[in-house]
Amino acid sequence: MIAGTPFDGMNPSTDHDGEIVITTRALSRSFDERVAVDALDLDVHAGEVLALLGPNGAGKTTTVRLLNGVLAPDRGETRVLGMDPNTEGIEVRRRTGVLTETAGLDGRLTARENLEFTARMRGYSIAESRRRVDLQLDRFEMHDMAEFRTAGFSTGQRKRLAMARALLHDPEILFLDEPTSGLDPAATRDVTDLIGSLAREHGRTVLLATHFLGEAGRIADRMAVLDHGRLRAIGRPDDLAAELWNGIPADIDLGGPATSEAIAIVASVEGVMHQEARATGMTISVRDRTAMARVLTALTSTGHAVYGASMRRASMEDVYFALEDSPMESFEQAAR
Amino acid sequence: MTLAQVPQTDQMPRTNQVFGIDWPVVRAVVARDLRAIRRSKAVVIPMLLVPFLLLVVLPLLVGIAARRASSPTSTISFLDSLPAALAGPIASLPPDEQLLTLVLGYLLAPLFLIVPLMVSAVLAADAFAGEKERNTMETLLHLPIADRDLFIAKFLTGFLPAVAISWIGFTAFAVVANAVSWGIVDGLIVPNGLWLVVIFWVAPAIATLGLGIMVRVSARSRTTQEANQLGGAVILPLIFLAVGQATGLLLVDLAVAFAAGATVWIVALFLVWRGASKFTRDRIAGNA
Repeated sequence: MIAGTPFDGMNPSTDHDGEIVITTRALSRSFDERVAVDALDLDVHAGEVLALLGPNGAGKTTTVRLLNGVLAPDRGETRVLGMDPNTEGIEVRRRTGVLTETAGLDGRLTARENLEFTARMRGYSIAESRRRVDLQLDRFEMHDMAEFRTAGFSTGQRKRLAMARALLHDPEILFLDEPTSGLDPAATRDVTDLIGSLAREHGRTVLLATHFLGEAGRIADRMAVLDHGRLRAIGRPDDLAAELWNGIPADIDLGGPATSEAIAIVASVEGVMHQEARATGMTISVRDRTAMARVLTALTSTGHAVYGASMRRASMEDVYFALEDSPMESFEQAAR
Repeated sequence: MTLAQVPQTDQMPRTNQVFGIDWPVVRAVVARDLRAIRRSKAVVIPMLLVPFLLLVVLPLLVGIAARRASSPTSTISFLDSLPAALAGPIASLPPDEQLLTLVLGYLLAPLFLIVPLMVSAVLAADAFAGEKERNTMETLLHLPIADRDLFIAKFLTGFLPAVAISWIGFTAFAVVANAVSWGIVDGLIVPNGLWLVVIFWVAPAIATLGLGIMVRVSARSRTTQEANQLGGAVILPLIFLAVGQATGLLLVDLAVAFAAGATVWIVALFLVWRGASKFTRDRIAGNA
């Protein structure tokens, strides 16, 4: 779904039908003359992983700060868990967890002391703080490092500890700002696996601010592409690709070149944008995945043997750079 | 990294507000900051060295020098330049008591004020600019603490040690001053009226002034060093005061000290109030 599409108060389609836990309407914020976030419309459902994707300076961190009540908007409205972060910031922050881009650990304190401080700040008693800290240290396999000052930790260790801190109070919404920056591939995989499981297995809502395309593609249900503070596009990666390339390309294996009858049947299916015979069947473009399902049903119900079908997914890089290279007007025209 | 079960507990966080301030949260920030400061040599060493030199070494040297002085003539001529109200009680003392009483009982008092000012300034720079420098401020802003409570915590992080070190330092000074004058001066040199006003009235005001200034300075600084360099100028007026006192150009007696303390309180509280009103998440994050 492209930015500028009239939402009628509804978010672009998502597999998550849970309640909307984050809503922004025309959310804007500037610093001096520089616009950081510009008229952002966003809905995030409970249990969803939404990636805010964009280059440095796109407005990702500012968006997280606005949603968590750290910054006040110049214009627009925000609701997080039904509350206005601008006026009910403390209650919002009580129910959210944040991993900032820099781990934000005090190097003069030990791992345990850093976590216990956060637990106390979140209102837990001393005993409960210790219990939660021990649980997190176990969970992140950092018990053997608990009594070491964090100044000597590697970037990966600091990120893990910061992640443990963000999850200490079992937050309903997790804001993750560049969670894998500075991590080696193994640590990156660990963190992305964890984020994915938080949403899938534990129902957490995750807002992931990142400029790593692979990361967003692997774990996000949807991605919102920001550029100079503006929402350029939002939706499932496949859907974004469909709009950018006039459909999702797909190959259908019919065991031989498609007959004119098969071509005609496919052409008549709603959502098919292009069809062309190939040596082993045909290549088509469909508007979305449901159209693909209709094509297959139409072919098989008319006696055509279908030996295989595959949609060629555009890579995250394809989506990202297509958005980067295209002027905003083209998206707005496409939306109309 | 594996994800074990998400913690489930009935131990829900509680807030414990008194006068609208979440004191457990304030205490948590103060305790963390003080613990971290204790482990920072760059902060602790100057914070303890200056009071040690001013309040232990200096009176010790003065006492030793006074004991060896053969003639108090210069003291007598110096007393002649002082107002009668200040010089009278000292002049009435036996000649060999006059130097010790004058220096330890009166002239060092303004110099002592460097201690609360310096300690509060160093701690405030660490508490405000230091958080930015260590990239821990952003994390703090994302925690459920009100702007005002965070400011109070940061203020107390600077104020409490400044006053505590001043008072402990003064106790050490009193012990040293009375010990070196033992056998020469009858009774105790300190505390006297001037010292009591300086310790309990002016010193906390000076500590507050240092904090008020450093809060403003730190808001414009990205590093502790930058804040300390900018804020270092706040000590200059006290140096002038001490020099003035020592040379007899500027004389501080009890009434003047009390009035000066009141003036400092007014200025300091105004600066703190202004600092608090500008201490908002939005400003801090916007400048980060």
